[in-house]
Amino acid sequence: MRDAIVIAGHHLRRIVRTPGLILILMAIPLTIAGIEYAAFGGAAAEGKLPPIKVLILDEDKTFVSSAVPQIFAGGPMKDFFEVATVLNLPAARRMFQRGDASAVVRVPKGFQDALLEGKDVALDLYKNPTQTFSPDIVESVLEMMATIANGLYARAKEPIARIKALADADQEPATADIAAISVGFYLAGRSLGRLDGLDDLSVEVERQGGEKSEGPMRGPNPSEFFGTIFPGLVIFALLFISQALAFRLLRDRMRGLQRRLAITPASHGSILAGGILYLVAGLLVLLVVLGLIGSLVFRIELREPLALLVLGLGLVAFAAGLQLAIVAVARNDRGAGAVSSIIVMVMSVLGGTFVPAEQYPPFLKSVAISLPNGAAQQGLVDVLVHKQGLLDLGPSVLTVWLWALAALVAATWIERRRLVR
Amino acid sequence: MASTAIEVSNLRKKFGDLEALRGISFAVRAGEIYGLLGPNGAGKSTTIGVLCGLVKPDAGTARLNGLDVVQSAVEARRSLGVVPQEVALYTELSARDNLTFFGRLYGLGGADLSKRVDDALALVSLSERSKEPIERYSGGMLRRLNIAAGVLHKPSVILLDEPTVGLDPQTRASILDLVRSIAAGGAAVVYTTHYLDEAERLCQRVGIIDHGAILAEGTLAELRRAAGEREIVALRGTFRPDRVPAAFARAEDAQIIKANEEELLLSLGSGGAERQLSSLLALATEVGEIREVAVKQPSLENLFIKLTGRELRE
Repeated sequence: MRDAIVIAGHHLRRIVRTPGLILILMAIPLTIAGIEYAAFGGAAAEGKLPPIKVLILDEDKTFVSSAVPQIFAGGPMKDFFEVATVLNLPAARRMFQRGDASAVVRVPKGFQDALLEGKDVALDLYKNPTQTFSPDIVESVLEMMATIANGLYARAKEPIARIKALADADQEPATADIAAISVGFYLAGRSLGRLDGLDDLSVEVERQGGEKSEGPMRGPNPSEFFGTIFPGLVIFALLFISQALAFRLLRDRMRGLQRRLAITPASHGSILAGGILYLVAGLLVLLVVLGLIGSLVFRIELREPLALLVLGLGLVAFAAGLQLAIVAVARNDRGAGAVSSIIVMVMSVLGGTFVPAEQYPPFLKSVAISLPNGAAQQGLVDVLVHKQGLLDLGPSVLTVWLWALAALVAATWIERRRLVR
Repeated sequence: MASTAIEVSNLRKKFGDLEALRGISFAVRAGEIYGLLGPNGAGKSTTIGVLCGLVKPDAGTARLNGLDVVQSAVEARRSLGVVPQEVALYTELSARDNLTFFGRLYGLGGADLSKRVDDALALVSLSERSKEPIERYSGGMLRRLNIAAGVLHKPSVILLDEPTVGLDPQTRASILDLVRSIAAGGAAVVYTTHYLDEAERLCQRVGIIDHGAILAEGTLAELRRAAGEREIVALRGTFRPDRVPAAFARAEDAQIIKANEEELLLSLGSGGAERQLSSLLALATEVGEIREVAVKQPSLENLFIKLTGRELRE
């Protein structure tokens, strides 16, 4: 064990002497998260994302058309959207060019009449071509509301016919008319399903592990926002850092240094253990540093330190085993680099580094959480965002550690065979 | 008489179909420099690998100070110092840091380690530049430090695997002096090389190795006698080897060592080349066309050619 510690300490000292590449790789998650931080700016730090600005071009100017802005300005959507009126499309385009708006919704002339007469009518949506996500969000919300409105419309023909009759007769509604129309809309709403009151629209989000949260939609706080994206980025960087660290051992071998170690009285087991210890200790330190930076810069609350340690240790043990196994079978660093990079990239894509695995279809989602990086990422998000403890992380911890043990056993077996011919 | 430090007996090793060692045996006494002389691929490095415990022999034994290198690998390696052919050092570290690290792996520590490092640096004349990263060192300095790392722990058995390859004559000479001084301290040294002059200048005994077997072994005097004080005439050109035996049967005291389409190697008695060269050339023109003629005086090289049919640089 003494020899293993001497060897591990020696390799770690070498990193301290020449830390260039490691520092660059450590900057990956910080840079990407920083870009997102910069994109969302202070609004994210205050607990909500900046609103998406939607323009309304009302060419109908009727009672019904005046309700269209409420799609974005009322109820649960008001935290996410800012609504403004615009006089014409050229004015909207000028605002697009300045980045002042994400989309414009045009309510065509005759909108109310068409609705009351039961004719087809459409709202026109113009998306700001210079933006990517925000206009798509506007489109999704508009489509969702159109679907709900269509369902309501189909069930509210009677009160609508009554309104139309009153309008055609240019007659003021009597109390009985108002009551009948109200009851008609109420019953239509009831028959639509559970949408008993649109003002009380709530969204139910099902979390990993069966926990359900219910309540009005709200913007994520910064701790949750970065707690969701940062673990994946850190794991991604960590896998590449482990590659860089392990490749030092490969280059040592190519320069005859491993042979030289093997002819000292240090046993081959000690040399292997020294390599593993070096990688695990080095990666763990870097993981802790990244975590602390995440806590300081992105306000990620580092809760449940034991759970974080168990997940982190499993992850770095897996990364060490994987890279040592690759290094053990590789003939040179070019070949090892290609193999390792492909494995890391495929694992990262499947494991949900770039797109949260929660967004994956069921099969891909099960693939993601069965991978060590995906399971570790899910576990870290569960701790940092969903406030879970070590005991709640059973599947994630088990998956990560099974992969870690498998990788370490494989690396040890291959390396032992190679050390003595 | 000094005790035997290295005993190698009937070592055999195959890598797939390649028989790398075919029954190698030799012994080296304390304070003795034993040269293992052979061309590339002869089996020198495999023999060294077995002695280091890196190659497991299929048969035979190797003992260092009585310890079997397979059965008691770790204990045997405690008394072993190895200087590999390549410069196996951490270039981003200083000479002192390199030596300190290797010293720790030999169980050294504290003031003892510090003194050993100082001694080793002084031995290879690198004390003044011991604190700078060795990536700034010249090739010769790196080779000297490579040796220091192998002898730092004062081993009783030292294996040097072609430590002078690619060095200029002056640096080679300084390294040979260094090896002599190490052996003078009582260590048994195995020195592999394919430079004949090094073996002649340095080694008390030499084993000539080729195709995994030791073809001849002894002191330089013994080997010279085995060479029979004969000269070698090497002819290069284009020849018909099937006609060579009949043609040279007419030559006086000429033995054919090797005959192929590009080369003829003939062994002649002492002074034979001077007396017979013109007649030999005449015979050679009967069997081909000569482009190059070389006469080699009696030496270890002649013995090597006589034993293996090829020159060391091959």
